[in-house]
Amino acid sequence: MVQAVDAVSFDVDPGETLAIVGESGSGKSVTALSILRLVPQPPGHLDSGSIHFKGEDLLALDDAGIRAIRGNRIAMIFQEPMSSLNPVLTVGTQVGEPIREHRGTPWRETASEVASLLTRVSIPDAASRLESYPHQYSGGMRQRVMIAMSLALAPELIIADEPTTALDVTVQAQILALLKRLTRETGAALILITHDLGVVARYADRVAVMYAGRIVESATARELYARPRHPYTRGLLDSVPRLDSDRRRRLVPIEGQPPDLANLPPGCAFAPRCSRVMQRCLVERPALEQVADRHHRACFADV
Amino acid sequence: MSDSTSSTGPDEILRVEDLRVHFPLHSGVLFRKQVGAVRAVDGVSFSVRRGETLGLVGESGCGKSTTALAVLRMVEPTAGRIVFEGRDITTLDRASMRPLRRRMQMVYQDPFGSLDPRMKVRDLVGEPLIVHGMADDRAAYRDRVADLIEMVGLLPDMADRYPHEFSGGQRQRIAIARALALEPALLVCDEPVSALDVSIQAQIVNLLMDLQERLGLTYLFIAHDLSVVRHISDRIAVMYLGRIVEQASRDQLYRDPKHPYTEALLAAVPIPDPELEAARPQQVLKGEVPSVLHPPSGCRFHPRCPKALPECSTTEPLLRPIGAGREVSCHLHVPA
Repeated sequence: MVQAVDAVSFDVDPGETLAIVGESGSGKSVTALSILRLVPQPPGHLDSGSIHFKGEDLLALDDAGIRAIRGNRIAMIFQEPMSSLNPVLTVGTQVGEPIREHRGTPWRETASEVASLLTRVSIPDAASRLESYPHQYSGGMRQRVMIAMSLALAPELIIADEPTTALDVTVQAQILALLKRLTRETGAALILITHDLGVVARYADRVAVMYAGRIVESATARELYARPRHPYTRGLLDSVPRLDSDRRRRLVPIEGQPPDLANLPPGCAFAPRCSRVMQRCLVERPALEQVADRHHRACFADV
Repeated sequence: MSDSTSSTGPDEILRVEDLRVHFPLHSGVLFRKQVGAVRAVDGVSFSVRRGETLGLVGESGCGKSTTALAVLRMVEPTAGRIVFEGRDITTLDRASMRPLRRRMQMVYQDPFGSLDPRMKVRDLVGEPLIVHGMADDRAAYRDRVADLIEMVGLLPDMADRYPHEFSGGQRQRIAIARALALEPALLVCDEPVSALDVSIQAQIVNLLMDLQERLGLTYLFIAHDLSVVRHISDRIAVMYLGRIVEQASRDQLYRDPKHPYTEALLAAVPIPDPELEAARPQQVLKGEVPSVLHPPSGCRFHPRCPKALPECSTTEPLLRPIGAGREVSCHLHVPA
């Protein structure tokens, strides 16, 4: 059995951007999917926990209950806009679908609303492009379409899973600036899932760092980058080359390989790669504890 | 420009002159005729000195990977010249290219696709030696393979395992060992760390830099990640839609970019430091890279350029020197 996500807790306030960062296999995407119960069951299984959205426990809802929330009050944006869009339906049809589905508005009446949504995400000449198919849009434009779709019902929470990983840097900057602007305008909360520490630094208010299915550290973005208190967070920050770093500074990689989730060590999952490892780390799993105001970490070492 | 000699400067290992790679577009089934061409690389010139790293950066479709493949003669250049170690290799046939292949090797982006899953690490690393007839002495062959495996930071007992038993970073080490087997002078690295997690990426970047120092290798390093390119390169060429728009030393380029595209590209890369980011002007470039099928008139960047002048839409700027060791193709900069 693979414990993809293990006892993860976090919260996000209206208007706030929370970044969940981690490398492949850290469980960041599964965490996001779990919120909307999008992990296929079986083989997946949500063992325990609770997800409170505006005071309501999402895990206690039945299928109809979660469907009423999905796409309506909580929207999701995926990494690959090409595979999330239906290639045989026009863009206009797809962006309008949540409106028809959740509000029962007839198609004729949604067209103008769809056009204004597409205009809001800066698609030029939107009204004349409703009849186009996804392949006639570029990668960046498709991601804008996804964002328009997610905004259709004015959600209170948007979950964006690596929304710009497939895009070029100049387009990435456009898309993230757009998301940030829209959440500011609407007061929606944003959970941004990413592996890119630069993106986190530019766009997030708070950060949760995941490793091997657990949150190992969480803090405000400024605090986390200025005073990382977990060896893994430190390791990540030291291992990335920066545009503003000293010339030919040797990178400090995190030695070793990422863990095998099916075969995790009994103690701290990061212990085999940790520079501060102690005897205790090999047998006991550290819990997430508060170390400063709004700053939590799971580590025994005095970092 | 095209003098009859193929001589390169004393420490120049590779020179590319006005390289063009066009892929023809056909229409019709019975009477196929060419209706156009994708000008993937359209007049690219640069040179690489022995022992240095030239970074080639740009967004998707800029032609950086096609340039790399053309340098290795893995796609046919449509026009231009490629001079490698003093020899014009642009039109060499397969047989004449063969001995030169030992001198120039490639590391690919995807360590999952570039290694035969049915071969053991030992055989993957040793295969180039066999192909080039350098494995006659069994004992020497075994030693060489063991050396290579150790050189890239793998353990001796990993030699008898298969690629699927390794993580992405370790696979990239295997690919590097394989590329180094024939003791090449030039290593062309096409996005060698893009598929790796950050903590692993640093391991491979360090390995490449150590190997360069130890073996005196020359790198042509192709990547879209400007932070990685900055870290590893001595000089950098920025490409946009099949052309080089700016070429400079690393420090010049990052400290004082001259081309508006270089400037925008650097501004788009976030720095992992929230305090710094909050203070940085957030300049967002408009539009997206246009199709190579229909490149814009004049300067190819002009529809997105925040500083475009009237002549930019009609006259294409040439890549011209604007000071020691740097070139830029932009109407805003008059040659020194």
